Amino acid sequence: MNMENAPKTDPRAPRPPRQPMPEQSPRRRATNFEEVPRGYTPEIAITEAIRCLNCKKPQCVIGCPVNIDIPGFVTLIAAGKFEEAAAKLKQDTALPAVCGRVCPQETQCEERCALGKKFEPVAIGRLERFVADYVRVRGTEPVARVASPTGKRVAVIGAGPAGITVAGDLARRGHSVEIFEALHLPGGVLMYGIPEFRLPKEIVQYEVNNLKKMGVVIHTDYVIGKTETVDELLDDRGFDAVFIGSGAGLPMFLGIPGENAIGVYSANEYLTRINLMKAYDFPRHATTPPKAKHVITVGGGNVAMDSARSALRLGARSTIVYRRSRAEMPARGEEIHHAEQEGVVFNLLTNPIRVLTDSDGRCTGMECSRMELGDPDASGRRRPIVVPGSEFVIEADAIVIAIGNKPNPLIPQTSPDLKVSKWGTLEVNSETMETSHAGVFAAGDVVSGAATVISAMGQGKIAAKSIHRYLGCDI
Amino acid sequence: MRFEIGEAMDRMRLTIDGKQVQGPRGATVLDIARESGIHIPTLCAHEDLPNFGACRLCVVEIDGIRGYPTSCTTPAAEGMVVRTQSADLEEIRSTVMELMLSGHPNSCLVCNDRDECQKYRPKPTKSGRATRCGFCSNSPTCAIRKMSNEGAPPVLNLPTIYSQHKVERDDPFIERDHNMCVLCGRCWRICEQIHGTPAISIVQRGRDAKISAAFGRSWLDSGCTFCGACIDICPTATITDRYSRWYSNPREAAETTCTLCSEGCSVTPVVSEGSVVETKMTTFQRESRLCALGRFAYAQLMNAPRRLDRPLIREDGDLTPVPWDEAIEVVAAEMKKRILPSLDSSSPAENGDLRAAVIVGELHTREDRFLYEQLAAAIGGQVAVAGDSPSGQVWDDIRGGRIKTAVVCGDYLDAAALKSIEYLVVIDFLPSAASERADAVFPASILGEVEGTFRTCSGSVKPLRQVASPPGEARPEWQVVRDLCHAMGAEGFDWSIPSDLSPCLRDDAAPSRPSGSPRDSIKELPSFFRGHLIADSVVALQSMGLPCTPLPPAEEIIGGFLVVEKEEIVPNFHRLVIEAPAVAKHAKPGQFAIAMVRESSERSPFTLIDWNADQGTITLIVEEVGRSSGEIASLKAGDRLAHVSGPLGLPLPVQKVGTVVLGGGCFGVGGIYPIARAMKEAGNRVVVVLEACNNLMFYMEDELRAVCDEMILVTKDGSLGRKGGVQDVFAEMARGGPPVDQFVAIGCAFMMRMTSERTRGLGVPLQVALNPIMVDGTGMCGACRVAVGGETKFACVDGPFFDGHQVDWEGLFSRRGAYHRAEVQAIPQTGAKVAIKTPLISLEALGVV
Repeated sequence: MNMENAPKTDPRAPRPPRQPMPEQSPRRRATNFEEVPRGYTPEIAITEAIRCLNCKKPQCVIGCPVNIDIPGFVTLIAAGKFEEAAAKLKQDTALPAVCGRVCPQETQCEERCALGKKFEPVAIGRLERFVADYVRVRGTEPVARVASPTGKRVAVIGAGPAGITVAGDLARRGHSVEIFEALHLPGGVLMYGIPEFRLPKEIVQYEVNNLKKMGVVIHTDYVIGKTETVDELLDDRGFDAVFIGSGAGLPMFLGIPGENAIGVYSANEYLTRINLMKAYDFPRHATTPPKAKHVITVGGGNVAMDSARSALRLGARSTIVYRRSRAEMPARGEEIHHAEQEGVVFNLLTNPIRVLTDSDGRCTGMECSRMELGDPDASGRRRPIVVPGSEFVIEADAIVIAIGNKPNPLIPQTSPDLKVSKWGTLEVNSETMETSHAGVFAAGDVVSGAATVISAMGQGKIAAKSIHRYLGCDI
Repeated sequence: MRFEIGEAMDRMRLTIDGKQVQGPRGATVLDIARESGIHIPTLCAHEDLPNFGACRLCVVEIDGIRGYPTSCTTPAAEGMVVRTQSADLEEIRSTVMELMLSGHPNSCLVCNDRDECQKYRPKPTKSGRATRCGFCSNSPTCAIRKMSNEGAPPVLNLPTIYSQHKVERDDPFIERDHNMCVLCGRCWRICEQIHGTPAISIVQRGRDAKISAAFGRSWLDSGCTFCGACIDICPTATITDRYSRWYSNPREAAETTCTLCSEGCSVTPVVSEGSVVETKMTTFQRESRLCALGRFAYAQLMNAPRRLDRPLIREDGDLTPVPWDEAIEVVAAEMKKRILPSLDSSSPAENGDLRAAVIVGELHTREDRFLYEQLAAAIGGQVAVAGDSPSGQVWDDIRGGRIKTAVVCGDYLDAAALKSIEYLVVIDFLPSAASERADAVFPASILGEVEGTFRTCSGSVKPLRQVASPPGEARPEWQVVRDLCHAMGAEGFDWSIPSDLSPCLRDDAAPSRPSGSPRDSIKELPSFFRGHLIADSVVALQSMGLPCTPLPPAEEIIGGFLVVEKEEIVPNFHRLVIEAPAVAKHAKPGQFAIAMVRESSERSPFTLIDWNADQGTITLIVEEVGRSSGEIASLKAGDRLAHVSGPLGLPLPVQKVGTVVLGGGCFGVGGIYPIARAMKEAGNRVVVVLEACNNLMFYMEDELRAVCDEMILVTKDGSLGRKGGVQDVFAEMARGGPPVDQFVAIGCAFMMRMTSERTRGLGVPLQVALNPIMVDGTGMCGACRVAVGGETKFACVDGPFFDGHQVDWEGLFSRRGAYHRAEVQAIPQTGAKVAIKTPLISLEALGVV
């Protein structure tokens, strides 16, 4: 198919329906760690891309935190020019294969799609994923063009979504970038948090390798705040600017009795064992798997869904306990839907009171009470209130606490010039993402608390621009 | 009074300890005493072995016989007057015990806190080599320990000798630590009794004496058949089963029959927490001997990590887990659709071709074999038996691509056959090319999960007993086939237990003999079980030359962290100097580093013992207590670790406070070194208390002496310094003597807990370095959380140092034990070659010889 044959984008012309995503069947996928959606075929992708109206003032671009030229790349797909579509995408996003999978498109680009007003919106996320996968699998992705060296050196702390975005943008602009990653593999939450069945780790490492091809140096096993401080990066090692994208890695617990029992995990521990340390492949990998017969996951966000669905895949029965109702759940609609399809049981309006244990200190269950919804609180969500006398016990041999994370204090502890909010997040100028420490920028969860991959990338792009400016270069 | 001539001829009357007793002619004094319920302590004696007289614990006094004869070798005689208890005998026995214990790690037997420790550490720590009972896999059943625990702790005046034998780990299945050996000779005697010519015997003399194959060859090269009798008869942990040794509370289950080959040997399964962890011969007689498969592979096959564990049905091209009932229904319906029409046309073998087959192996239970025949009849096909060179009409039809519907019970079909079959049902225990291609897969129980009867190649019928549950949803085959036939509408398939089938089982044929003699040579072991290569699941068999599926080459560590120096400084403690410049540059006293040998390793924390920023190196002391520390212990200079990160944790605040007393045990002896150095530099008076189980286990004393004002040594057995632990010294110092301003303790959790308890309320602050399980070590996971003063803390970022008097020790102990079973399962079974260099403290230096 070529451009001449591309269909006209007449809004009144009859259009094909939004193309469904081919998926593994729920009862099969609930037992393996393979990716759930199988991705569009070229034929499906073209059919879907043809649906785009190619609006004059595309609202989808505004809805995108990194302002991808969405009609641009979708039109190229419709024309069958997949490599060109990939090149177009890469102008605005460092991680299309990742974002196509984990972005909450329904509240961003797709929410604003003009087609969505009357019909269903264009499946922008699925198309993004298709293009990125297409060139990756075939090895035909064009190498990113790198500007001539500026002689400026930037240290990027954390190889998660924010760090990767900043590193990519700055390397492209000719700066010399070194990433310092605390764990033994780069990728941050993309490696330790998001499970294989939602985001294959191979894709993360592929994107990281693309950075290396652009000349970015990655130091793993390097814990800034311990191995070296921010000030030392600037003063001793002569970096011209520092970017902090260290994420929100400090897990929160409920503070209920029995919470230190064996079998009670933070979602970070539960997912890190499975994803980063590959405990599902025990004993070939040495980290012991968090095996259980029935796992309760406390929380209603994406991380809770990831944990509950991972539990199924390790052979357990899986139950979500969430104190508000379904409507207040912060998780992506698709993740809740997938979890339900696979057989996760939802115990909504349920609040944990204490963890029950046996004489060896192993978790045997959780006492909960029923809740009802009262008036809206500061977040606009209706406040849950305990129903008196409604206590009951759910038996379980493992409990995963997925109620959120705070930024790790290792960096601010050793950088007195960095101003920190009462939530432990770094205070920044929201225009420039510059911190209170001159030459130090920050973005992602370390600034906003636990949020999404794409918002971290969006902030990262802003930070990269201001670092470029700070280094005395024109945009 | 009746008097029978025969009885008088056969039996003798003796007096033992004043009691009139009788026994048969030809019996020894020991035999008759035992028969009469009189206890004489023994060690080398074993009811299934000829008498030997090696240990000399069973000495007695007999009127008219000079000296103290050993009762196990002295034939009883009519009218003998025997005494088993006297002051002289007591002395001889305790001297014998003392001599034996001087060459056998013994400190736990004489430790002051023996009972308390036992309470908190009921299971032994899985160590590379046993340096005391707490680290010995044999301790729950040890005869020496039992003897010694019966009375007051034994008094030991002789110096402790550690023989410094290399731990032998190169052989498959068997590990040998000759430092534990008491030379009772049971192993080579049982070897001789079973095999005629023993593969092993005692070599060398004196303290160098040990059990060995001739010329120090590996047992693999010695003609050893790996029957395991020596393991099962060894009273110590000298000879152990690498796979089963660390499982807790092993229990012998009812005798059953091994079906790994058609000989059908009897075995006694040993069960721990619901799983079979080893199988033993039923008696110590030649006819009961087992081959390496029967002894070792049986349990490992049952526990293979890749076992099929749920029924699968192909849906939209993918094998999908479904409930049993549904799976049976789907397969029955499909079978009926395919087979029955051709049955109706009363020509199941149209044109003389069979179109359906049930392909089984030779090693099924009789009940299974009967039901497979029924199933074959129900689908209008025939049973094909897989073997070395399967032949017959059915096999010709399979090879000719004429079989369109098949039930296959193992990995028996090649790619061409798999391709030609249109509807394939697999009933098996491991995945295979057949199960990958199948339209339905039923997970099967095997070996000790199965009830029924087995016909051996010699024709006898032997019982099979279920002693463990199958993994997941796997079921016995007879149940699967019964339900399948039932669902297809067959009448009368309503047996509820295997024995209901026995009236149907008559004149079933005996399977063919194994091609070799597996019990007499490892070269003749069968390679396959149900068509699967056994060595794929039981990796140690690969070193016996059994074929296996080639694996991708081992991962190569690129870059990584160079090991500059490596030595085993004292038994089981390894000192490594590693190039890690970034860690060395910022390290402070009390911090730790995370190390991973390979990408597949755990992230394991180790205390930083020393560092050199100029040379960019750090020093770790690693105690081998499981897989990850074992991986590090097996490194040698020039090797690389995949990852090292740090320095992690908060350093211990160092300032001038006056007198600082530092207590270190185990790895903590090294752990206190950088703290002592810093405290001394800060102008404190530094007292160092070093704890070890005995005089041979101290290390780094010279380095420590250079950075302290006073050094106090304590040993659990009193062999050097005072007898006791850090806790005793701290408690004494807190109660009197020169004032102490700060205590610091680093070592095992038990020692730190005891130290905290014994110094509580005495007014001296105590800092302890906690060692809970960690995953990332950077505050990300919270696995290391511990309650301190009622508040939850993360040991990795808030610690490792905490106020010992505020720590919830019960909680810490409990969480440390969270993964005991998985940690045992993680221990590699390959029989890795481990190079150990042991520049130990010499006996000469201690003035012992």
